[in-house]
Amino acid sequence: MASLRPRALPLSVRTLRSALSSTRPSPNHFLSAPASTQTRAHSTSSVSADELSHFSALASSWWDPMGHSRILHLMNPLRHEFIASCLAEGTSSPSQNPSSTSTPSTATLNYLDVGCGGGIFAESLARTIPLDPTGPAPTPTLAASMTAIDPSTDLIQMAREHARMDPTVHEHLRTGRFKYLNTTLEDVLAGNAVTLTPASSSTAASTPNPSSPSTQPAPQYDVVTLFEVLEHIDPKTSTPLSFLTNCLRALKPGGWLIGSTISRTLPSFILNQVIAEAPWPIGVVPRGTHEWSKFVNPGEVKGWLQEGLMRAADTGVSRGGSAIAEGMRWKCVGAIYIPGIGWKMVPGSEDWGNYFWAVRKEI
Amino acid sequence: MRPISRAVLRPYVCPTCRHGISAGRRRFGSKSDSPDLYDVVCVGGGPAGLGLLAALRASPITSKLKVALIESQDLRKAKAWDLEPNQFSNRVSSLTPSTVSFLRSIGAYDHLDVNRVQDYQDMQVWDGQTGSRISFDWSMETSPFEDMRTVATMTENANLVRALLRRIADLGDENLSLFSNATVASIENGSDLKPEGPDLSAWPVLTVKPTGPAAETETPKRIAARLLVGADGINSPVRSFADIPTQGWDYGRHGVVATLALDEPATPPFPASKRTAYQRFLPALGGPIALLPLPDNHATLVWSTTPENAAYLKSLPTPAFLAMVNAAFRLDMTDLTYMMGMQSSSSDSTSHQDELTWRAQHTPLPSQIPPAATAVQAGTVASFPLRFRHAAQYISPRIALVGDAAHVIHPLAGQGLNLGLADVASLSKTIQYAVSHGMDIGDLLTLERYSSERYLPNAKIGGACDLLHKMYNVPGEGPVALARSLGLGVVDRLPFVKSFLMKNAEGY
Ligand SMILES: Cc1cc2nc3c(=O)[nH]c(=O)nc-3n(C[C@H](O)[C@H](O)[C@H](O)COP(=O)(O)OP(=O)(O)OC[C@H]3O[C@@H](n4cnc5c(N)ncnc54)[C@H](O)[C@@H]3O)c2cc1C
Ligand SMILES: C[S@@+](CC[C@H](N)C(=O)[O-])C[C@H]1O[C@@H](n2cnc3c(N)ncnc32)[C@H](O)[C@@H]1O
Repeated sequence: MASLRPRALPLSVRTLRSALSSTRPSPNHFLSAPASTQTRAHSTSSVSADELSHFSALASSWWDPMGHSRILHLMNPLRHEFIASCLAEGTSSPSQNPSSTSTPSTATLNYLDVGCGGGIFAESLARTIPLDPTGPAPTPTLAASMTAIDPSTDLIQMAREHARMDPTVHEHLRTGRFKYLNTTLEDVLAGNAVTLTPASSSTAASTPNPSSPSTQPAPQYDVVTLFEVLEHIDPKTSTPLSFLTNCLRALKPGGWLIGSTISRTLPSFILNQVIAEAPWPIGVVPRGTHEWSKFVNPGEVKGWLQEGLMRAADTGVSRGGSAIAEGMRWKCVGAIYIPGIGWKMVPGSEDWGNYFWAVRKEI
Repeated sequence: MRPISRAVLRPYVCPTCRHGISAGRRRFGSKSDSPDLYDVVCVGGGPAGLGLLAALRASPITSKLKVALIESQDLRKAKAWDLEPNQFSNRVSSLTPSTVSFLRSIGAYDHLDVNRVQDYQDMQVWDGQTGSRISFDWSMETSPFEDMRTVATMTENANLVRALLRRIADLGDENLSLFSNATVASIENGSDLKPEGPDLSAWPVLTVKPTGPAAETETPKRIAARLLVGADGINSPVRSFADIPTQGWDYGRHGVVATLALDEPATPPFPASKRTAYQRFLPALGGPIALLPLPDNHATLVWSTTPENAAYLKSLPTPAFLAMVNAAFRLDMTDLTYMMGMQSSSSDSTSHQDELTWRAQHTPLPSQIPPAATAVQAGTVASFPLRFRHAAQYISPRIALVGDAAHVIHPLAGQGLNLGLADVASLSKTIQYAVSHGMDIGDLLTLERYSSERYLPNAKIGGACDLLHKMYNVPGEGPVALARSLGLGVVDRLPFVKSFLMKNAEGY
């Protein structure tokens, strides 16, 4: 509740201005954008009201391929490739053994997408969930289910609307293999928001599970994704450390926490603040999308994750904590957007701006 | 090209109209009314459409997609196509090596009847006005130890279509619907199947009607497409639905085609397997004449000329027609123009031949002329109007155009079909990428990969053919002819024409 602070008025003015400054030749991006931004009253506080109002105002053009999210859309295939490269090293699912390449893998992994926004990644992953869970997995991302959460009511609604336009995705929404929840990570962990669909169950489906959430164990996911969210955490009310720790808590042993973010270095400042947010046609994201001070460097993420792994292990400080941190499986690779060519993973470019990172929770 | 953002404005059914539709559908009950859903619906079963289908079915990534193809002709007949070994269809195309390797990669090439195809390694092109000449002989550029490089492979379109159909049959019929003898009666946007169903208001929904006798008894089918591919030729109904304008003009020329038998060459080719294609530009008659090799000293003729000349040629008795073809590779413009106007009657069928024999004695013959044509296969003389068309864009939400639906070019470089199959190779790769990365295959973000890969190359080759056509259509000895002769002479060793006709012809 504390997240809705009385700064709402000047903020919405800023949002409006940023919306106007990014208007493109393509029509009606913002004309139908809701003037007021709706937010669910959340029990937790990692959510920043600034961020919410900003993203909610962008909801109507989230899926416009030429709109402000174009750059995220274009990056999306790389996310699939990065995830596949992580899973190739091992998964939390005993049936997925990377060494036995003779038998094709089945899709058994349960995903949680934190801060899914309009669903760019969540929907694309849901599309790869096979309608027949017993067959071979169609893609190396091996998804059996996807739960996508975002604190913005507008964005979740927009995401659901968009998902209905694909009958396959719609079917997954109907059966519960794919879910959009307007909630926070903290609520998911507290079991207030979600009942996890058992991966194997085909009856799970359309009837929502009425059983009391408190009797269920905390959700355990095989993969938790956090794409372009870390830099939007409200530093006044939460910390990346506690946020990442919570992400790790949602993960099964052997599972992967995978994300992407922007680093806070000089080249990245120029790329992301000066160029990316410059007025159209130079800029690629609306002004106000990024707050420079919130950008995080790869070293910082790694440090938080080491700390977070120890905390999430919940074994107290005494046993094995530092061993967990030292043996941490950490992957990081930079990604650069080259106009006219698109996104490319460029190892070593982590400090230049966007980068993917991943950590595996040890078994 | 229209900017993509405009394409998003393709008129969808507006919400109020949609309201009307869904109100109506409730009355009729929604079960029977909701269309069958397909991932890819391809309209048109020519080389492009069938090529796409074979490519999608052959790839393990896309073989599970639910696909449909609609063709108004009888595909069973096309699959059973058969001709005597020494007979050749007059619809023949040259396949570039990159097209051949694409066909191999999808497993279709092995289904071609190889006794009916002919590679050629050399190409003689010259200007009938100035005599300047350009030769494309790979054997000059490769070392004697290498195999001769193929410029192109001649194949009947029917042989190719049959190969593609056989390959498709090979790959099984799971998730495949072939609507043969069927035509697209209408295409419209779907509707929102609220509250239970998905929102199909941005999905194209086709009404497929049988043609012929079945039209009376069978009820039309409604099918919805995640991706609707227009491989439906120059008058593409898919393109009209997508409201994509085309740019273009008619050349005011016709292509006269025929299957010919040729004399033994005066000097046997060296190496013995070397075959040559011949093309002579005839500015005074409106375009080039080309003879492209087929097996056993056969050749296919493509003669681009004015509609009047085409009509005249088609009206000639066979000996006169043959004399005209041979004259066109030998005589000068004045003689040819004269012969194009000669009266001919069946009683006097040798007059053209006599004229040719007499005039050839007084004309210095270049060394590169083809062996004389000695016979015309009955029923193969035909003509087609030549046109240039280029769609303003190849994609629109849930729509992609390939082949002649996207572009029709002058046939003087034999590139039309190759461009179409290059489109198909690119689109099928794009679809594979999308499927393996969770993208919606009908989404503009997916399809823009295809159009950005194909639009410029097609425009470039179409434009170069157009330029060549125009350059060689200015009769007389004026500055253009001078430029031409300079052009062909100099350019023989320079990049443009050569790299255009060979490297581009070779692909990529
Ligand atoms: C004289 C001449 C010579 C040529 N020589 C060469 C050459 O040497 N090399 C070369 O590469 N190219 C050549 N071409 C070009 C080549 O033939 C074409 O580019 C090629 O056939 C195009 O294939 P396509 O599949 O795109 O279209 P098409 O072959 O036109 O196929 C379109 C199909 O769609 C079907 N269709 C249309 N409307 C509907 C509907 N409403 N419902 C159902 N089905 C429908 C039609 O029946 C047809 O089968 C030449 C062309 C001409 C005219
Ligand atoms: C740049 S968007 C990224 C959207 C999506 N992950 C993608 O890449 O397409 C950032 C999203 O993070 C969400 N967000 C901000 N703070 C959050 C928090 N504390 N917990 C979860 N999501 C949050 C915002 O609502 C917004 O949708």
